[in-house]
Amino acid sequence: MSNFVELSIAKAINAGIRKSMQENSKVLVFGQDIAQLGGVFRVTEGLVGEFGAKRVFNSPIAESGIVGTAIGLAMRGFRPVAEIQFDGFVYPAFNQITSQLAKLTNRSEGFFEMPVVVRVPYGGGIGAVEHHSESPEAYFAHTAGLRVVSPSNANDAYWMIQQAIESRDPVMFFEPKRRYWQKGQVNLDQAALPLHAANTVRQGSDVTIATYGPMVVTALQAAENAAAEGINIEVVDIRSMSPIDFGHIVESVKRTGRLIVTHEAGTFVSISSEIAAKIAELCFYHLEAPVLRVGGFDVPYPAAKLEELYLPDADRLMEAVDRVLAY
Amino acid sequence: MSQIAYFDLPDVGEGLTEAEIVTWKVKVGDTVSVNQIIVEIETAKSLVELPCPFAGVVTQLLANEGDTVNVGSPIIGVTVSQATAAVAAGHAPTSMHSAVAQNAVSTEAIETVSEVASTSSEEKPQPNLVGYGVSAAAPSRRRRGAAPVIATATSIANATAPGTDLIAIVPSADVVIAKPPIRKLAKDMNVDIAKVKATGVSGEVTREDVLAAAQVASVFKNQTTPEPKTEREERIPVKGVRKAIATAMVQSAFTAPHVSIFVDVDATRTMEYVKRLKASADFAGVKVTPLLIMAKAMIWAARRNPTVNSTWTDTEIIVHNYVNFGVAAATPRGLIVPNVKDADKLSMLELAMALEKLAATAREGKTTPADMQNGTITVTNIGVFGVDTGTPILNPGEVGIVALGSIRPKPWVVDNEILIRQVTTIGATFDHRVVDGDVASRFVQDVASVIEEPALLLD
Amino acid sequence: MVQLLTVDGDFVEPKEYAVYGDLVRQLREADFLKFYRDMARIRRFDEEATALQRQGQMGLWVSAIGQEGAQIGSGYGVGPNDHIFPSYREHGVAITHGVDLMSIIKMFRGVNHGGWNPKENRFHLYAIVLGTQALHATGYAMGINFEGLVGTGDPEKDLAVITYFGDGATAEGDVSESFLFAATNNTPQVFFCQNNQWAISSPVGTQTKVPLYQRGEGFGVPGIRVDGNDVLACYAVTKKHMDDARSGKGPSLIEALTYRIGAHTTSDDPSKYRDPAEVAEWAAKDPLIRFERFLRKQGIGQDFFDEVKTAGDELATELREKTFAMTEPPLELMFDHVYSEPHPLIEEQRAWLQGYEESLGGHSSNVEGDDTPTYGGTH
Repeated sequence: MSNFVELSIAKAINAGIRKSMQENSKVLVFGQDIAQLGGVFRVTEGLVGEFGAKRVFNSPIAESGIVGTAIGLAMRGFRPVAEIQFDGFVYPAFNQITSQLAKLTNRSEGFFEMPVVVRVPYGGGIGAVEHHSESPEAYFAHTAGLRVVSPSNANDAYWMIQQAIESRDPVMFFEPKRRYWQKGQVNLDQAALPLHAANTVRQGSDVTIATYGPMVVTALQAAENAAAEGINIEVVDIRSMSPIDFGHIVESVKRTGRLIVTHEAGTFVSISSEIAAKIAELCFYHLEAPVLRVGGFDVPYPAAKLEELYLPDADRLMEAVDRVLAY
Repeated sequence: MSQIAYFDLPDVGEGLTEAEIVTWKVKVGDTVSVNQIIVEIETAKSLVELPCPFAGVVTQLLANEGDTVNVGSPIIGVTVSQATAAVAAGHAPTSMHSAVAQNAVSTEAIETVSEVASTSSEEKPQPNLVGYGVSAAAPSRRRRGAAPVIATATSIANATAPGTDLIAIVPSADVVIAKPPIRKLAKDMNVDIAKVKATGVSGEVTREDVLAAAQVASVFKNQTTPEPKTEREERIPVKGVRKAIATAMVQSAFTAPHVSIFVDVDATRTMEYVKRLKASADFAGVKVTPLLIMAKAMIWAARRNPTVNSTWTDTEIIVHNYVNFGVAAATPRGLIVPNVKDADKLSMLELAMALEKLAATAREGKTTPADMQNGTITVTNIGVFGVDTGTPILNPGEVGIVALGSIRPKPWVVDNEILIRQVTTIGATFDHRVVDGDVASRFVQDVASVIEEPALLLD
Repeated sequence: MVQLLTVDGDFVEPKEYAVYGDLVRQLREADFLKFYRDMARIRRFDEEATALQRQGQMGLWVSAIGQEGAQIGSGYGVGPNDHIFPSYREHGVAITHGVDLMSIIKMFRGVNHGGWNPKENRFHLYAIVLGTQALHATGYAMGINFEGLVGTGDPEKDLAVITYFGDGATAEGDVSESFLFAATNNTPQVFFCQNNQWAISSPVGTQTKVPLYQRGEGFGVPGIRVDGNDVLACYAVTKKHMDDARSGKGPSLIEALTYRIGAHTTSDDPSKYRDPAEVAEWAAKDPLIRFERFLRKQGIGQDFFDEVKTAGDELATELREKTFAMTEPPLELMFDHVYSEPHPLIEEQRAWLQGYEESLGGHSSNVEGDDTPTYGGTH
């Protein structure tokens, strides 16, 4: 019998980091305001008390420096878990992440491993000011040498942060900030899935909706609405944007024949673009309709009053379901 | 023993494809040492001195001052010792692509090299700050005709954690595999693609499959079971085509004594022949079906057994020395039997085209009375309905009719072995006033022989 | 500016630099000869590499000629267990730490991105993106701090980190952020700026308004300027500051004032932006000539210098032979080590390329006995 506990996603990540730090003394946690304050979302609450200031410490407001020094620490044999306070502030670190963190293992032909986790709260829906609601995951998924994941629920959050920390590769860990307080059952004893495996969170037969992070809840909502109309939607949480578990998606699409991919980010040159192209190739003979994508618009994330218009909701997903079924 | 070593003009890292020889620093007969400067070249308006790669005596200067030389062309020949030659014959770096983007090294704009003057015929490539610069296009190694690889992907969870407790996903058995355009075709033709027999290489439904199903489906297949009617009966007036068919059938059936005989035959070779004809360039764009071979078989058999190709009048039996080949066609308004005039004079290709035209015209409802008159022998294709054989009624004025049934894979004895062959039953009805059993049998045997071995048509 | 050797090769020690003079006095003659040998060796290497590039053997060569004093001197001032984070011109520092010179050739030839083992000689890989290495060095030094390997007094345990960059890189934000992290974390670290006064075509005045050794003060990183063409001063200043860092005195900045005698790289043409008189002025301060004068005044005879020249010629020949013998990298190199753990997309693409190349007759990696001539070959 497994040990279960109900936790919010934020608390689940906290518990996961804690467990990793207990099991490996080389794990360090740092970023802006993550020590006494426990992070602006309280995800690192209590860690400095338990592990001390040599393992849990605040960083200056210098994102490039945070990632650059994390690289140096990794070279020295530590396992840094660096936090970027908000998605919109990852850009100053973009150079260190893409030209250095992603490439050092390759450049050194394996002499250096980069077991670094960069945690980034991301996504909108919290009525924030500019730069606090970005979805920049595609830039990193496009960069060879990085792994990119995003948990959608508490159980995944608990296990995936641990797996990310254990990984010998650099992992961009995107945390859906509007879901931080969403509670769920966490199996404390056994991880259900490998880090990069997709998960079918709702079985169905008519249409597959593939998504990740904050949009999983929205997709499930849309599926509920659709069921009332007699449409049976299958929801796949892809969980990992690099690598993407295409095999799992293919199994689903071969049964339903119809795929919608959705995320908050704009669809132009996005994660959904990759999935649409790859599934068109892998499922050509099984598709009853083209792969449709539902995302935010290709505009800078709007001001809070316009946010509701921007973010894809269950209705926008249903509109796509109607379109995909019309073929 | 000494040899001549040649120095090819190198790409000195500026994306050069050529350079101008400005000044030779040595002449023929001079002794040169390794790295001695031998020439000054101009590249995009800056001068570069080239050091000699080997030691020896200058034998040839292969370009003159003022000449523009392509990168890779030899510019100087130097007589070198054997040992040097061996070293010189080592590896050359193959042309490599520009290694690093310009902004990787410095944020400064490149002011070191002035504007590249370009004329319409001779564009100098942009100077490159780092790396080998733009390489000349590598020769193409393209090979055509790769077979399409069917891409696959294994799900990550299955690949890495076979023991994990996943939600069981049962793959559906009746999944239709078809390309999007074929799905559209089926939809447009009102064909339920799930019910179409798929013959594609990957198990997919092909265009032909859909068209075949459409042919049958559009008129003959029961697509849906209608709701039970509320009225106790429906009365359809007898008139028009229905009345004409009835009259003809009665006249034929109750005037001529009908006898039917049947032969099962191995039609595999006919099916192969049809396939080959379909693939041949001559028959591109023309419909080729087993019916075509059957037509040819009947025409050939009729030549050998002329009385089956005749007409009974009470005073005479008129044996026709031509074949107006009739094909029973079901149309939305009823059964008609248009015929191809003088079918015996037509080549295989002409006959195929004529049959196709006949069928299309009938489908469109444009068959004229003249098309339907003066037939001399008829075939009725019940195989398309999935029926094995039958006892057709003679077309009035004719004394023979053949039913082409379905062609199915069945066990058959070939050279004392049981094999799966494409087997069909040839059924034929004759007017016993004209055709006795022996003639009837010989005719049907002849048709069967051709179906079994189409090469007999070469006779 | 700390200087111990005049341009004429006289050892002149100002009173305020006695601490550095002391460090020099602890050196033996053998050390001086080693310094000179390495300076000459790396210069000869540099000249030969330039020639090889002009002969098509490398895509690019980055010359360090003129900076031998700063590089050899500082290289030998680094402790036996210390770690070095270079930029991309520190060939002189590389040989003080036993890095195989052919590795550097390979990188500029395009065989790899720097194929030496950074842990073997503690000389890390070249950094092409300016200034990024300063943050890595700082992070590394923070790690040493966490491990408590600073200021224990045990020479086997204590560690320090030195990072090199040029005047141009000081403008990059990463360098400023490194100063910040270093100072607030009191890292055991020396920042060694080789101010060779030119960043491609921009003179150092474009990168800074204040003398570069003052750059770190605002962040809490004290600095000092040394004559970059004085190998003894560079040695002493570096040794002192590394020792201080190792003993827990925190980070510092050394600016070595030197000159880039050559071009930025072999694709650059300095005649377009530099005054030949300036170049001549600095050529007169050449570190090798200066040190030779010093050595001769110490009684070192011509035999030594002849031996060095011969060794240089032998090195050049060896370099040449080894360069010609180089083979193409296998296609696997593109895919190995992109990740430390298996990755499906990499495996898929590797397999595809292998299949594709095989279908076209094979990729010419490790081609033995290929008859392609080097320069045109023997006809």
